[in-house]
Amino acid sequence: MIKRFLANIWNAVSAVALAALVCAAVLALAIGAGALLGYPPIHLADLWLRGAAGSWYALSSSCADACPLLLTGLAAGVAFRAGVLNIGAQGQFLLGALVAVALSTRMMIFHQAELVIPTALIGGAVAGGLWGLIAQYLERYRSVPVVLSTILLNFVALYLAQAALQGPLQAVGTAAAQSPEVAGKYWLPLFVPYTDFHIGIILALVLAILLWVLQEYNLFGFEARVVGLNPGTAKAMKMPVTIRQFQIMFISGACAGLGGAIQLLGQVHFMTAHMGNYGYAGIAVALLGRLNPLGIILSALFFGFLDTGAFRVEESSLALPHDMANVIKAVVILVMLVLAGLSLRRARRAGRYAAEPSTPPMRESTL
Amino acid sequence: MTPAQNMLTFLSRQAVTAATPMILAGVGELVGELSGVINIGIEGTMLMGCIAAYTVTGVSGHGTVGLLAAMAAGMVMAVIFAATSVWGRADQIVAGTAMDLLGVGLSGMIWMMYQNWRENLGFSTALPRGSGFSAVPIPVLHDIAYLGPVLFDQYALCYITIGLCVVIWWVLRRTRLGLIIRALGDAPEACHAAGVRVRLGRSLCLLFAGACSGAAGAYLSIMQTHAFASDMTGGEGFVVLALVIFGRWKLPGLIGGCLFFGLINSLQQTLQTARYTSQNAALHALTHVPFQFFQMLPYLAAIMALAIMSRKAPGPRYINVPWPEVKT
Repeated sequence: MIKRFLANIWNAVSAVALAALVCAAVLALAIGAGALLGYPPIHLADLWLRGAAGSWYALSSSCADACPLLLTGLAAGVAFRAGVLNIGAQGQFLLGALVAVALSTRMMIFHQAELVIPTALIGGAVAGGLWGLIAQYLERYRSVPVVLSTILLNFVALYLAQAALQGPLQAVGTAAAQSPEVAGKYWLPLFVPYTDFHIGIILALVLAILLWVLQEYNLFGFEARVVGLNPGTAKAMKMPVTIRQFQIMFISGACAGLGGAIQLLGQVHFMTAHMGNYGYAGIAVALLGRLNPLGIILSALFFGFLDTGAFRVEESSLALPHDMANVIKAVVILVMLVLAGLSLRRARRAGRYAAEPSTPPMRESTL
Repeated sequence: MTPAQNMLTFLSRQAVTAATPMILAGVGELVGELSGVINIGIEGTMLMGCIAAYTVTGVSGHGTVGLLAAMAAGMVMAVIFAATSVWGRADQIVAGTAMDLLGVGLSGMIWMMYQNWRENLGFSTALPRGSGFSAVPIPVLHDIAYLGPVLFDQYALCYITIGLCVVIWWVLRRTRLGLIIRALGDAPEACHAAGVRVRLGRSLCLLFAGACSGAAGAYLSIMQTHAFASDMTGGEGFVVLALVIFGRWKLPGLIGGCLFFGLINSLQQTLQTARYTSQNAALHALTHVPFQFFQMLPYLAAIMALAIMSRKAPGPRYINVPWPEVKT
């Protein structure tokens, strides 16, 4: 038990250590490339690091940016592990935020922060989960692949959110698709004053650890994994395959929806339909974290730091586009993939068995 | 012509115009998937095509050069993807996601730098006059009733796409090459035994797909709109991905799906304006419906169609399985 626990931790840490190394190399290359284009390298690196972690405030905004990424990453990770190819975190995220903003501005039954905040968060999570269930229903009873329906449902969710934001949820005195601001007392409380450290970050971390325990030390997690690896085997072992898939989809959607709700109440405080590409980015976060919730925590932090630093660089006099961060993420993922492929090959040549797959099992299942 | 006929022609023409880039990118993706490689990152490749076409056309003043640049950009993306997923044995879903990120990031970066550079030089970032493409009616054919305006009054790339579809359909159905492409995805062992180099074959299919997606991007930026905006593809790449599955990995199915999607899209756009101008009471009642519900229509229609047809095709067997397979 302890040995497995340690091995588990080591698995996550080694993955991320490798990621950090690769990332350092890629960053150095990027800064070198920047130097060639005429951006002073030392100044650039300095700005980037300071922007991401130079002060308590910078640190907190990096973590606050990592928080929705962590949740959408968990959404993708949990689902992929079980062979449910949920690409719909974007839509589930938006709907979560939408329900949260509705429950904290227009549709309030209570007016105490202690009641409004939990209802909004739970409402957001449930909305995301239910949105995910539509796709799973279509897969199970109408044979529509989840990959496909979740992609399409993302757009439906987007327009639904826009319609609500220009209709019943629109702020007074604006023509834009924008909700009113959530009243200050319903914002997620900060645990370090005057920073962006809101309790949503802690909530997300706790959820990640819970999911990790569920996945590694629980019959449910085991069954979900078997269902993902080989539904036929799962069926032969008399596992409730359909129920597990629905449950996993609900958990996955709920994670994404909660991400939207937390981002709304903790960070942006009013909603537009452009809340960032957290849903799609979550897929990359999950895959970089090897679908392991602990790995996902670290890879979400990595993404958050990279993004926040890049935005500060863009705001500075250097005006280097922040999209640089996306390029770096992509290169890191690609390099990591090739490295993983090579090490897998070496391991197999040496006759050792590879670790369990860290990517969605595609061949037997959904596509 | 009666107004109804007029309307039908107009709608169909719009549908073909909107479907062309999807068909173009879809044909590439289809060939790639048939050879056993799924590329989630077409969106990124299309964006690279958009930006390459726009900037190169802006600098050179020739749309054709821009189109070629877009295809080259798409092929460069394909080389990166092939290097990692075919030769580097990376998981294709993961690598595809990374390619999407890469395309979004690079295109956004290049766009900002291009704007700065042009403004510092004192140039406008708009395309030079006459360098973007406009529709080219084909002399005699475009007078045919209905078919003329629908099929023969389009951008040049649309005609090329039609030709390409016919060629690819023929290649896939009737030739040895097509058999090899399908075998790469269905039975790579057999290909290997027959002396076909599996990884090379898959890479070539991906190169073709990259050129197609790049050209589709160029269609969006220098033909349909004559403008660039970051994330201008707006998820079209993902829709293409869905439509390939929708068409059950068959070319006619894919084209049908794209046209259907384009038709619903042009229908909803027309309805959006028609409900305000029409005298028809039923249409006029639609003014109370928020316009976003019209925008939602193509996606809803696609889901409905899938749910009603209720069919599942297995697809190429060795999709996302790197070659050579390692036995555990």
